[in-house]
Amino acid sequence: MGGTELLQFGLAGLKNGSIYALVALGFTLVYAATGAINFAQGEFYMLGGMLSVWAYADLGLPLPLAAVTGVAATAVLGGVFELAAIRPRKDGDPLAIIIITVGGSMVLSSMARHLFGPTERPLPAFSGGGSVKVFGASLEVQSVWILGMTALAVAALWYLYNRTGLGRAMRACAVNRDAARIVGVDTRLMVTVSFVLAATLGALAGLAVTPLTQTVFDVGPSVGIKGFAAAILGGLGNPIAAVVGGLVLGMLESLSIAFISSTYKDAIALIVLLSVLFLRPQGILGRWRREKV
Amino acid sequence: MAASRTRLALVVTVAVAMVIVSLSGCAAESEPVDDSVDVTEPYRIGAVLSLTGTFAGLGEPEKKTIDMEVERINDAGGVHGRPIEVLIEDDATDAETAVAVTTRLLERGDIVAIIGATGTGGTMAMRQEIVRAGIPQVSVAGGTVITADFHPLVFQTPWSNSLVVPFTLRYLEEQGFYKIGLISDTGGFGKDGVEVIKEAIEGTDFELVAEESFNPGDTDMTAQLTLIRAADADVVVLWSAGREAATVAKNMAQLDFGIPLVGSHGNARIEFIEGAGEAAEDFVFAAGKILVPEAYGEDSEEYAVATDFIERYTERYGEAPDTFAGHAYDSLYIIVEAMQRLPEGFSPEDLRDEIEKTTGFVGIGGTFNYSETDHNGLTEDDLVMYRVSGGRWVLEER
Repeated sequence: MGGTELLQFGLAGLKNGSIYALVALGFTLVYAATGAINFAQGEFYMLGGMLSVWAYADLGLPLPLAAVTGVAATAVLGGVFELAAIRPRKDGDPLAIIIITVGGSMVLSSMARHLFGPTERPLPAFSGGGSVKVFGASLEVQSVWILGMTALAVAALWYLYNRTGLGRAMRACAVNRDAARIVGVDTRLMVTVSFVLAATLGALAGLAVTPLTQTVFDVGPSVGIKGFAAAILGGLGNPIAAVVGGLVLGMLESLSIAFISSTYKDAIALIVLLSVLFLRPQGILGRWRREKV
Repeated sequence: MAASRTRLALVVTVAVAMVIVSLSGCAAESEPVDDSVDVTEPYRIGAVLSLTGTFAGLGEPEKKTIDMEVERINDAGGVHGRPIEVLIEDDATDAETAVAVTTRLLERGDIVAIIGATGTGGTMAMRQEIVRAGIPQVSVAGGTVITADFHPLVFQTPWSNSLVVPFTLRYLEEQGFYKIGLISDTGGFGKDGVEVIKEAIEGTDFELVAEESFNPGDTDMTAQLTLIRAADADVVVLWSAGREAATVAKNMAQLDFGIPLVGSHGNARIEFIEGAGEAAEDFVFAAGKILVPEAYGEDSEEYAVATDFIERYTERYGEAPDTFAGHAYDSLYIIVEAMQRLPEGFSPEDLRDEIEKTTGFVGIGGTFNYSETDHNGLTEDDLVMYRVSGGRWVLEER
């Protein structure tokens, strides 16, 4: 196998991996704020693409405006979902929240099915079709957008987490919710913010991919599972770990196709995930959290 | 206290509900089937379609077609002066659900035939119930297994892979493409196609230089295609019925293969062209003649039937029907015309025998000739090769 082919596999892995990373970030943010897994994360991915298509094709907005509308509308929906479905559950029991998000994901995809129909819908590429050559391997221009948007989102998130008061409050909330509340952090608000951010990241991923794959009401769950696996692989609750987990998972899939078999690529990725968890239950970059008695 | 009262209320409600359900179940069973002929009582046909889930895009046109054609049949006087009614159930693209809704339909006791399911998996899973009830079934799913795993009660209307694969291979032979790089989805349709292809090329000049697959929902197939390119294939053959086909076409354009992509009747959807855009250009696939009705021959009966259906469908729904709408049309009319040929008061066995006698039925998928050994009824003559050109389907010149 030549170097060009290897590079091509690498690029495919990088592209898929950065999508998984964006979705995984959403899981990690909500987990940090609530201690629960948000199983509606895949639906935010679906809505980001679907609402952009709706704004572009049905409302007739120009593409950049339609894209912003799609992501913003999904972010608002994420906040509304938290306020309407999660917040009423006052004790914040993670198990209850998980069940609520499972139900929420069904409601969101059924609604999308009713409003936007059962067939897949296209969106044009952001800056035209075509591909660029990278040392003999080729990369679609849209994939460059995907990589760029992921990098930008990660940088923005890093800035928010490390350089702003809101970010510090979110981190405090993740470390110890009760202590954060005592020092005056509005922990309820932090949960809402985490859902809005998770929805935004999921929507960005869905928007970036739609020009390549089209979108339809039921794309959420399969991407949701990949993102969840990536978040676990990296280590839940840590944004950098989510990105690493996503990229590792994407590369793993790509390399399994290259060297083993495309039929078993998901199984191989899953086996690696399980073995990593067996050896390091906290994920690749996760830290041991010893239970204190 | 309040909590325990709520719990008590819940238990009572559940108990009452269970009693009601069991009573109504008994009532349905003990009620004798009315043998006297009531002219206002419709003939009932059950339909199991995928209105939600992965195949929702296939089930939707099927339902639209049935709704439209039932109205037309009843306006023309129905069957023996009685109207027909099609009870449509959604199987959510799930084999278990297909079995459950089939059972529900059959337990009514007044269903004369079943249309469906939309998918091959659902169609096969329903068979146990169909056989138990002894009711004929006309499936709108394309899996070869449906009629290859023969049962006297089960018929199908789409061209199965065992027709399309040899037809496509003959095209490849004409073009001089012998080294095939195969890419398929891991769903029922893709797996079925791969098996039929492997069987068909055994002992021929064809060679399978690469065999790759992808899962429904995958967003990138460049890795698989890179392997096919490295295997030095003459042609990439794609066997997949889902939306991922558009991604395969785009990834091929991106990798700049310089070899053609040939698909199957699973890609005969306008969504494929919309999704793949320029990458769909010069995509070649085999399918029935409904996409370009001129292929039937403009003076033929087939042409008249197809254009009439296309016009009515387009007028009512504002979009042209696809091949899946055609399969539903064929299934419904094969059943209804068999009913019309029979005298009143026919039994399910009579109807099954009569459906098997269907010969020369001109439908949308082609001209059907069922027999005691052939419950698919179509031939390769009902297929034609298409090429995507200028964002439209045109007949491939051969």
